Amino acid sequence: MIVALDRSALAAGLSKGMTLATARALCPSLEVAERDHVADRLLIEQIASWMERYTPCVGLIETEDKTPEGVALDITGAAHLLGGEDALLHDCLTRLRAQGFDATTAIAGTLECAAAFARFKDEAIIIPRNTEPDAAASLPIAALGLPSSEVIALARLGLKTIDDLASRPRAPLAARFGRDLLARLDAVRGVIETPITPRRFIPTFITERRFAEPIGHEDDIHRTILTLSADLARLLEKQGQGGRRFELGFFRADGAMRRLGIETARPLRDPKIIMRLFRDRLNALADPLDPGFGFDVIRLSVPMAEALDAYEPDFDGRMDLAEDLAALIEKLGVRLHPSRVMRLHAEDTHIPERAMRYLPAQDGNAALATEWDLWSDADLPPLRPIRLLDPPEPVEVIAEVPDGPPIRFRWRRVFHVVVKAEGPERLAPEWWRMTGQALPPTRDYYRVENEQGARFWLFRGGLYERETNDPRWFVHGLFG
Amino acid sequence: MPVASSDLQSLRQSISKIGRDGSLRAMDPAAKTTATGHQSIDQALGGGLARDALHEVSPQSPSDLAAATGFALGLIGRFAQERDWVWIGEEMTRHEGGRVYGPGLKNFGLDPVRLLLVAPRGAEDGLKAAEDALRCAALGAVLFEPWGHPKQLDLVALRRLALAAEESRVPLIILRHGGQNLPGSLRTRWRVAAAPSEGRETMGHPRFTLTLLLNRQKGARSASGIWTVEWSHGERLFRPADSVDHFSASIDRSIASSGSFHTYEKSA
Repeated sequence: MIVALDRSALAAGLSKGMTLATARALCPSLEVAERDHVADRLLIEQIASWMERYTPCVGLIETEDKTPEGVALDITGAAHLLGGEDALLHDCLTRLRAQGFDATTAIAGTLECAAAFARFKDEAIIIPRNTEPDAAASLPIAALGLPSSEVIALARLGLKTIDDLASRPRAPLAARFGRDLLARLDAVRGVIETPITPRRFIPTFITERRFAEPIGHEDDIHRTILTLSADLARLLEKQGQGGRRFELGFFRADGAMRRLGIETARPLRDPKIIMRLFRDRLNALADPLDPGFGFDVIRLSVPMAEALDAYEPDFDGRMDLAEDLAALIEKLGVRLHPSRVMRLHAEDTHIPERAMRYLPAQDGNAALATEWDLWSDADLPPLRPIRLLDPPEPVEVIAEVPDGPPIRFRWRRVFHVVVKAEGPERLAPEWWRMTGQALPPTRDYYRVENEQGARFWLFRGGLYERETNDPRWFVHGLFG
Repeated sequence: MPVASSDLQSLRQSISKIGRDGSLRAMDPAAKTTATGHQSIDQALGGGLARDALHEVSPQSPSDLAAATGFALGLIGRFAQERDWVWIGEEMTRHEGGRVYGPGLKNFGLDPVRLLLVAPRGAEDGLKAAEDALRCAALGAVLFEPWGHPKQLDLVALRRLALAAEESRVPLIILRHGGQNLPGSLRTRWRVAAAPSEGRETMGHPRFTLTLLLNRQKGARSASGIWTVEWSHGERLFRPADSVDHFSASIDRSIASSGSFHTYEKSA
């Protein structure tokens, strides 16, 4: 079945919903390609990203079964930047055609109205505000986007255009076809408004530069980022805000779009620092920014901001230690990845491997010293290892009795003769945290020292004779 | 409140006096050296370990990795005091040698809250991270744990690190997992082996046998040396292993254990 066709196919008399055999009969030279939902969605998403050059509020128009069929832009307040709605529409169409796309477009007061015109009128239309009901009158019923069964049912009643429907009394229609029909009708006639669901969170702070001549040189790009950062700093300062997340959008003239994001450990608005972080990010890219034939729009936005009071340097003009450290965390986060720069957090559990978690240092140092008070720092020989093997490694152990301490063990092909052993320290699984799972065996931990003085943290999994007859041994940690 | 300049003068003098035995100097992050607390070692080093330099610590055998880690952490404890410090451990070192364990750090006398852990993918990222960290004067110390002997860790790279450390006075300890000695810009090089702890039945404080293989400290008394030391995390210092005898084997070690308490000694 045919799901989409181009202008020349339409001209040949083909239409959507036709079977392939019929279409081939009508037009033997027909070129067909199988529908690829994933590729379709990817392409539309890509176009939508590129469309952000016109406005940050871009949504997808989807059919009943969630197939994207178009892109919706909220151009309220954005059109004048390009010289009005007319110029915007023209610019958009020209650029799309240059990329090899054919598109039908419409601008109207409501999303549904514009979508209906784009679907059913083959020209770029601008519906002036408040003329939607008249303009929509001649559109076919199918423009409402109803299920086909309802379209047929309405057609049987002799209702073929929007106007036919709008001139009928509403109550019987609602009784027969449901309130949804009336809601759609009102939306297409521009009487009620439904908002566009943006694909991405719309940032509060945006600055951008548009270039008549696309730029591609690295120096130009860096200079642009710096001026954008300076603009942004002024915006942020006016509101007493600092950015926690920054995003650069590079719009290529040929339709590609690339986003680069950085996150910071504290609210930030110093253009030099923003610039430096982005430069590090650009240098650390695995696949470098490809300018192609150049970028014609570069946009810097702040998806996440926090209050930041006016900056007060120290008396000697130097940033204090905490600032230095925050800057380091940011720098490493940008270079490696925020998740690779971590702080240790204590967890309230006695299961050794869960007693501690790594959290990104950037998420603020929520680590409290008191969390660690569970563990002693008294001047006693350590009870816990400094290095924990994860997962525990199985070892061969010789013990005098099955539930006794080890005498000898072999780990990583080296034999260790145990000279001292302390234990067992019995750590039972936390049954109250596990519902509906089989309990792992209880562990008996031993701290052992070999002849050379190296110390290990061994455990026996399973209580002898109660849980298992053949307990297995593991080395779980190494003492310093 | 106005302070008489003579008061200030006398205060300065008394401070400089305390500093001479090394006890207070260790606390001062602006000082150029930090004493280990072990007299004989400090003498050999000419007062203490240099803060503005690179130090290499490697295990004598693969089983001594944890001991080498312990010695490095002891040095970090001396260097960093109450400041934050960075541990840069390449991904492979976590898999092979185990990951850093917070409760154990605390047991060792280091506050886990002060640690900033960096996990670079490989040596190249690790080197860059180490250099970034060394340029941050807010840090107490940096521990860099490369995997094997990466070719990136050459003369030039080490020289860069040394310069960064010199400028910020943030010491860098390079903890090795074996492999050849590093070339060039190191101030000291240590080989560490585990040593049997005190106590016949229970375990005492961690002990290490240290071999000083390279000593380019200013005012160094000897080019090398061997010591067996004990880390006391309560006092946060290294002390001679033979002179401590006050730890009796009868100490109650069952504090943190939820189960019963046994000791066991293998009859040799």
